[in-house]
Amino acid sequence: MKRRGFIALAGGTVGWTASGHAQAMPVIGYLGSETQERYASRLEAFRKGLEGAGYVEGRNVAIEYKWAEGQYSRLPALAKELVDRKVTVIVAAGGAEVALAAKAATTTIPIVFEMGGDPVALGVVGSLSRPGGNLTGVSSLSVEVSRKRLEFMRELRPTSAKFAVAINLASPTSGAQLKNLQGAAEALGVELVVLTASTESEFAGMFAAVRESGAGGLVFSSDPYFAYRSPQLAALAVRHAVPAMTQSRDFPLAGGLMSYGGDFSQSHRQAGTYAGRILKGEKPAELPVQRVTRVELFINLKAAANLGITFPPSLLGSADRVIE
Amino acid sequence: MPSTVPAQDSLKGTSLFWKYFRGLFLAVAGPVLVAGASEAWFGYHDQRARLSERLDAEARLAAVKIQDFIEGIEDQLSWTVQLPWSETNGDRRILDAMRLLRQAPAVESLMLVDGTGRERLFVSRIGLNRIEGGTDRSATPAVAGARADRTWFGPVTFQAGSEPFMTVAVAGNRTAVGVAIAEVNLKFIWEVISGINIGRTGMAYVLDQPGRLIAHPDISLVLRVDEAVQRPLRDLRAAIVEGLPGEAAAGQDIMGMNVMAAMIQIPGVNWSVVVKQPVAEAFAPIYAALWRLGLLLVAGTAVAAAFAWYLSRRLVGPIQVLEDGVARIGAGQFDHRIDLPRSDEFGRLAARFNEMALELSVSRQRSERIGRLKRFLAPQVAELIDRTGDDRVLDGRRVEVVVVFCDIRGFTSFSSQAEPEAIIDVLREYYDVLEKVVSAHGATLINFFGDGVMVLLNAPVPTPEPALRAVQMASDMQVSVQKLLVNWRAQHPQLGFGVGLAMGPATVGRIGSEGRLNYTAIGNVVNLASRLCASAEDTEILVDRVVAEAVGSRAPLVELEARELKGFDRPVPVFAVGDGQRSGRSGDSGALDDKRINWT
Repeated sequence: MKRRGFIALAGGTVGWTASGHAQAMPVIGYLGSETQERYASRLEAFRKGLEGAGYVEGRNVAIEYKWAEGQYSRLPALAKELVDRKVTVIVAAGGAEVALAAKAATTTIPIVFEMGGDPVALGVVGSLSRPGGNLTGVSSLSVEVSRKRLEFMRELRPTSAKFAVAINLASPTSGAQLKNLQGAAEALGVELVVLTASTESEFAGMFAAVRESGAGGLVFSSDPYFAYRSPQLAALAVRHAVPAMTQSRDFPLAGGLMSYGGDFSQSHRQAGTYAGRILKGEKPAELPVQRVTRVELFINLKAAANLGITFPPSLLGSADRVIE
Repeated sequence: MPSTVPAQDSLKGTSLFWKYFRGLFLAVAGPVLVAGASEAWFGYHDQRARLSERLDAEARLAAVKIQDFIEGIEDQLSWTVQLPWSETNGDRRILDAMRLLRQAPAVESLMLVDGTGRERLFVSRIGLNRIEGGTDRSATPAVAGARADRTWFGPVTFQAGSEPFMTVAVAGNRTAVGVAIAEVNLKFIWEVISGINIGRTGMAYVLDQPGRLIAHPDISLVLRVDEAVQRPLRDLRAAIVEGLPGEAAAGQDIMGMNVMAAMIQIPGVNWSVVVKQPVAEAFAPIYAALWRLGLLLVAGTAVAAAFAWYLSRRLVGPIQVLEDGVARIGAGQFDHRIDLPRSDEFGRLAARFNEMALELSVSRQRSERIGRLKRFLAPQVAELIDRTGDDRVLDGRRVEVVVVFCDIRGFTSFSSQAEPEAIIDVLREYYDVLEKVVSAHGATLINFFGDGVMVLLNAPVPTPEPALRAVQMASDMQVSVQKLLVNWRAQHPQLGFGVGLAMGPATVGRIGSEGRLNYTAIGNVVNLASRLCASAEDTEILVDRVVAEAVGSRAPLVELEARELKGFDRPVPVFAVGDGQRSGRSGDSGALDDKRINWT
């Protein structure tokens, strides 16, 4: 059954590409907001998912990459290029901006997105169970758990009554996240210092501002722009001796204090699986949007020691990984 | 020669070969086929029963795995409800709760309620934690249910219309320890369900009591929460429920593939764990066995056919060889020999036939020779040889014979005057009459030469009393020919008939070439008889002394005057049969009758 479907699809693809392109393999158009290097770990997970569905890059599927290199304004044009290129399926991975750019570019080519926010709230799909149209994808819970980061930071720094939050105003989820964080601050009884940064050049100033404001720590909102610059942020956090927390495990792994967010390797792997299933002929409208099941807490004890911070046992106990 | 026709004939219609072949084939293939069919029948039923058992066992195993998943969460929860609530152990509780979230990834949030039903702690992966929330939860179904039954399972709900969740509440062994309430993300069952393989491509899935899909290896089916799509899975469960207990049910899955399925109900949550396997795969061992059996039967039948063919050939082959041989021999090919080097009945039969062919060949050679002789010998001689089957009597030898000559007087002048037709008619009647007389007396008609006829007695066949016989025959000849002469003389009065005979040794035998073969006698006696005939008057029968002496008084003989005969130095004594009086030339038949010889 599956095999027959695959053969039929492969046959169809051959016929289709023969008219426009001289390529026999189906082509995945991969749209990313950053560079191949920054996406390396995500791509690895994606390929794993693709392989699970029976596709190996270069063997029975070609992947054409389009990188915005951090300039999100380029995404619509890149998405358009992929549409013009008539790829079999577009994978828009790494955030709502990418998904929205792809969605705006085509209503016919299937799109598999991977993002941290709520795709329903962002208007990417109508519902999780029945996405409809040509889109489906995976959502990590990163955006939703921004408040949990504030909670963890508060737990770590119980004496502080003021915390800084970093927001990227260019992100479509910034408003929702700020509201989420403000609600949490209220519940936790802490004061928020809202800092914004949309470019790398603003990072240093942001860390400096944390020190100046006397905040107990810096909590990053969930944003791919931040997530893909984890090593940079970790270096700045170390340099400015700021206890900081992001959504991405890359941050504590690069020397940052801790992270809490959806497991991106799971979400990218699922995106790969979905891309493979669509290549096999399944319709995106029939593939429900998946949410990752794992939200992971990473703690870097070395960074904590450098900052002179001791983790309470409740935090250590619930950490998925403790870097010593 | 029709050498190949018999072989073809034997293969047509109801040939013995096909009769033997059919009989032998049925004798061998029949039992094989009957045994094979019964084996297939019983094997099929055994395999079906085994399939049901296997699927049932798989369903049980799958159910145990799902149950383990639920019980694992129950166990985790039960740890948090072991100690009664007191003011001092709050931090400890938080730690336990955090640890539980870490240990049980499927638990999305945990709420601990104390003995009075107040919420004391709420920890979540997504939402904010609450410590000492204090809300009275005693009226919630979870708390009430857990207090009543220790463990309570809520209905399955689909968060955001997609993700299946279930509330599990566990109460401690006494009221004071409170209740732990967990929101369990049922997507985690995927890890369990996708690890269950039924055969090669079979799988398991879980339905809740109303028939909603909770777990399936393809998680997207669960997340779609599409009743229409899930319908086949519900129908399959219904088919199992309606079917006989312990018997795998047949149905169709979402892809429309025919499957065999079994189900086990998990108590408590009231879920149905259904295992299904494509019919093609489930029945693969049965099909394989049937195929194997089929192949064996085909092979067995082929062997039976080959065996029957071989045996029939062995049986009928010699018969065909015999038939062919006999047909050839029957068609005259007597040099044909049936080549059947066997020591059995067929071999002996072939030998008999060969002997027969040999005899036939000898006999034909003889009859051919006789046939050849018959063409050139006088018919009487030939017939004789034909009768005895031996022509050695024709071999040359010297024997005492009686030679009889007779001819028509005045025939030369008759033949020069008469029409050819008349001559031929006269001769034909004359010959007919003489031939009858000659053969009546067992004499051999040696030759006709015009009106002259030479007849031999005692050769080639010995005749008793040849002289007497010759005299009697000569008299009969006279009587018969004289009757003819009565008519002929009306036109040709000069015609008459005379006979001369002599007895003595002569050389007899075949003379002449193959194409012109004659039996004749050579010797003085032939000359003498010829001369006596020439010397005889009409109606006269002249015999020599030897004949007269041999006849003696048994016939009326009259010694005539010795005559000068050509070729004889001295006058030859001559005897006439009868009273010695010659009948007149003009004498009628009545006169002839009067002069008939009185035989003693």
